[in-house]
Amino acid sequence: MQSNKLGWILLAPTLVILFFFGVLPFLYVVFVSFHQWNPFAASPEMIFNGAENFRRIVFDEAFLNSLSVTVAFVVFAVLSELIIGYLLAQAFMKEFPGKSIFRTIHTLPLIMAPIIVGSVWKLMTTPSIGIIPHYLDEWFGITMNIGTSAPAAFMTIVIMDIWHWTPLVTLTLIAALVSLPRDPFEQAQIDGANKAQTFWHITLPMITPALVATVFIRLMDALRTVDEVWMLTGGGPGSSTRFLGVHIFKEVFPKTNYGYGSTISVIVLYLTIVACWLLYVSMLAPRKNRKG
Amino acid sequence: MTKQNATQLDTAPLTEEENQRKPTTTQERQGFLPIETNAFDRCFISVVIWVAMSLFWFRFIEPMGASIWISNFIALAIAVHIVRKG
Repeated sequence: MQSNKLGWILLAPTLVILFFFGVLPFLYVVFVSFHQWNPFAASPEMIFNGAENFRRIVFDEAFLNSLSVTVAFVVFAVLSELIIGYLLAQAFMKEFPGKSIFRTIHTLPLIMAPIIVGSVWKLMTTPSIGIIPHYLDEWFGITMNIGTSAPAAFMTIVIMDIWHWTPLVTLTLIAALVSLPRDPFEQAQIDGANKAQTFWHITLPMITPALVATVFIRLMDALRTVDEVWMLTGGGPGSSTRFLGVHIFKEVFPKTNYGYGSTISVIVLYLTIVACWLLYVSMLAPRKNRKG
Repeated sequence: MTKQNATQLDTAPLTEEENQRKPTTTQERQGFLPIETNAFDRCFISVVIWVAMSLFWFRFIEPMGASIWISNFIALAIAVHIVRKG
């Protein structure tokens, strides 16, 4: 009983901070999502309108378009980051000349603020001054203009995100791979397992918890990407890169539509939680049941 | 500490104090859901289904004239079923 009390006392400051800066704002956003509230309109007061915002959101073409663009972005970016991150982690497990320098350079994008990443990529991809359109034109005869071509803008954002966040995946997977015991691999070698069999039946099941944690982090981050995209394309051309985060930003700040913006935020949070939960259940629950 | 002593300590029954310090585990069970769940999981699944059903209802069923309250009653019935038998 004594240790329980001490535990709660030690936890109390964290719980208080979490309540005031996490739980309370969340409850307030949920509360606002059931209201019509535009503080800069002719009638600035908060008007309760029941589930009207939620009724509106399922018919909102701009929101549904943002949702589909975001889902496509998340699938492309997170899958690519996982594959490239795993291959790089495997490469870093081996010894090669210049390994430490390469590892340092490879980790550098991770320490850059997203807004800086967006501005650097904007400079690199702006036609007439950017290095990427210049060499694409000179070497392959390809004209690249992210201001007018929707696929080019979308792919540039995906590549930028991969460039920025793959090091995180690599570092996490290196940590997971380093901690694996050697015995199962030696046993598999003795039994004559090839590389693919070793990967599917030993490496992958053993690194699954680290993999799930990495996917969670990347999934949540990718679903609320704003600053890089805002800096690089501003959501354009048209609405081809108007991800959910950018859509919320445009709804809340330029239009000052706080009620509807909160509704979109709640739906995005709901989708994020459901996606993470489904992922958790599909990847970790079978292991848990097998053990039981 | 010798190996024999260590084995004796490992297999000895827990004292009352140790029993109190033992971490409390949530009660999980296997119902009709494909995974083992505790009470919180079942409530969470019910809320997720309720929200998904409401959004689906707003988009496809309500324009045909059926009130959202029908969806809420169905979701409530599903929730009770999941919490009790899930």
